[in-house]
Amino acid sequence: MAKKSNSYVLIYTIVLTIVCGSLLAITSEGLKPYKEANIAFDTKRNILSTVMDISGYSIRDLEALYQKTVVSTYLVNSKGEKVDKPFEQVKIDDEYRKSVEERILPVYELADPKKPGKTAYYVFPMWGFGLWDSIWGWVALEADFINIKGVVFAHKGETPGLGARIAEKDIQTRFTGKKIFDKEQLAVVQMQKGEGNDYTADAHKVDGMSGATITGQGLNKMLSEYFEAYLPFINGQKGGKVSLK
Amino acid sequence: MAENTATISEVKEKEPLLSKKNRKLVTDPLDGNNPITVQVLGICSALAITAQMKPALVMGIAVIFVMCCSSVVTSLIRHTIPGSIRIVVQLAVVATFVIIVNEILLAFVYDVAKNLGAFIGLIITNCIVMGRLEAFAMGNKPWPSFLDAFGNALGYAVIILIVAFFRELLGAGSIFGIKVFEAIGFAYQGNGLMLLPAGASIVLGLLIWLQRSLNGYVEEA
Amino acid sequence: MDLINIGIRSIFVDNMIFAYFLGMCSFLAVSKNVKTAVGLGVAVTFVLALTVPLNWLIYNYALKKGALAWIGPDFAALDLSFLMLIIFISVISAFVQLLEMLIEKFSPALYGALGIFLPLIAVNCSILGGALFMLGRPYGLAEATVFGLGSGIGWLLAVVSLAAIREKLKYSNVPAPLRGLGITFILVGLMSFGFLSFLGFTL
Repeated sequence: MAKKSNSYVLIYTIVLTIVCGSLLAITSEGLKPYKEANIAFDTKRNILSTVMDISGYSIRDLEALYQKTVVSTYLVNSKGEKVDKPFEQVKIDDEYRKSVEERILPVYELADPKKPGKTAYYVFPMWGFGLWDSIWGWVALEADFINIKGVVFAHKGETPGLGARIAEKDIQTRFTGKKIFDKEQLAVVQMQKGEGNDYTADAHKVDGMSGATITGQGLNKMLSEYFEAYLPFINGQKGGKVSLK
Repeated sequence: MAENTATISEVKEKEPLLSKKNRKLVTDPLDGNNPITVQVLGICSALAITAQMKPALVMGIAVIFVMCCSSVVTSLIRHTIPGSIRIVVQLAVVATFVIIVNEILLAFVYDVAKNLGAFIGLIITNCIVMGRLEAFAMGNKPWPSFLDAFGNALGYAVIILIVAFFRELLGAGSIFGIKVFEAIGFAYQGNGLMLLPAGASIVLGLLIWLQRSLNGYVEEA
Repeated sequence: MDLINIGIRSIFVDNMIFAYFLGMCSFLAVSKNVKTAVGLGVAVTFVLALTVPLNWLIYNYALKKGALAWIGPDFAALDLSFLMLIIFISVISAFVQLLEMLIEKFSPALYGALGIFLPLIAVNCSILGGALFMLGRPYGLAEATVFGLGSGIGWLLAVVSLAAIREKLKYSNVPAPLRGLGITFILVGLMSFGFLSFLGFTL
């Protein structure tokens, strides 16, 4: 068959589509169990590292530490009521695609490793969008629901060296000790524009990332959106004293 | 695989593997025919990821790997590709290849893949990959194509590392995250301008000035 | 969201070149004179304005989780988003290929002037960038079309203005090694500082 004929081009396209498509489908499906196991383990590790330094632990130790530290896990809806559903079935990225009112929100209660069994921290997973693709994270609040104990953020495709810095420790530690409430009103900590400024006096602002304004805005939107969604739950825990405005 | 080695030995009979001509394929793109500073390829990523040394190094290594493999594959199938859909074919080869490698890394070395994930889109749309496929691999045998890809990717990596060195040093006062100015007891206020892509553009412009003063290359206006 | 607002934002505020630094290779290489720059700018605008809405349709009706529900309930759980990048890039490259054939046929002079940078529109990051940005924003089909068109016009505007400056530059005495690419990089950096003043600008 001549290389320039239309039928050759058509057949070539079809073969190429089938070869590339099936290669991608096979690798994507075939490696799914491994990927999911890795992601599940990574989630556990991230949840733990919002409240403690885990750099010295091996994989097996981390698994045991997770079992010991996590007191309970459950799901709540946007009205703050508990939802009866298997915890593992709820995927935070699937929930993100629903409207804010319909989302089911996971809550992790963690103990202080030195005082096991007693809830000391609440960890809230979040999902959002940066410049290029999804960003997500876990925010640990102290049991008073005001102070941030620690955060872990991750991303799929932010620009390396700029927006991708949200996944780095030196950005994340800027959130530690910041507040999400101003007296009884929700006032979620927000990342500012520009870098190198001192916000130690302001508990609702953190220093920004130079050259990554859009990623910072996505991060702020994610934090505000999810704390608003968790507000009814927090309100229930605090006896109905806090409000949005 | 058998086909691959057959083609290489075929070249070998005509000329040694590292003949002068083949060596030039690797050394030319390092300076005189550099992909970034002379051929104007791969600029977007050179501006985007050079705010720090570490991502620049990762990107450099990833591009060397992807370019070598996709050049060889394209060169092997170059006689079968119909001219009217060659762009689609080239990009399909590159994209499939990059995505599969990422999936494998995600399954077996998750921590590496987590850091590489952000580079995928940047590698696929890096014009240096497709630029060399179009300009060289489509018309040459696999072994010279491999050398050409290797040389160009290396030339790319060298330039982005130099730009990243100056941007990180002047922008954040550090190299590979180590605060060098503080280490020698000198307080340095980072220049935020360097971390913006606009700063990268100016650094690259000055670098080209320096390079061309040294090798005497002058562009006709 | 207001369509005019999206259009103006994508042309000036979120300019692909000066705000995001996307699509730089062809931008730098083809800005030597205004005429070629207009040709490439129109080509990029054409590809952006058509592929962004087309990719929007493909993503929303075929790729994203539950997108295939319109075929039947059996398909509702299917998630093909792992194919997203390769399909987007295939759609884009198919359009570029089509464009290449059209330009070769109707304007051989432009075809010669653009050289390798015509096929390289396919890897012009502003086009894939446009497709990816649109997914992260709450755009419908109409908004996506306006966004694609606006981004393209913004790119055209940037490349033409740089070409105009470079044409003037012929009469300046630039140090020989800095001539061409070197001074262009510095120019782009300075022009981008100017465009930074649009940042955070909302209508």
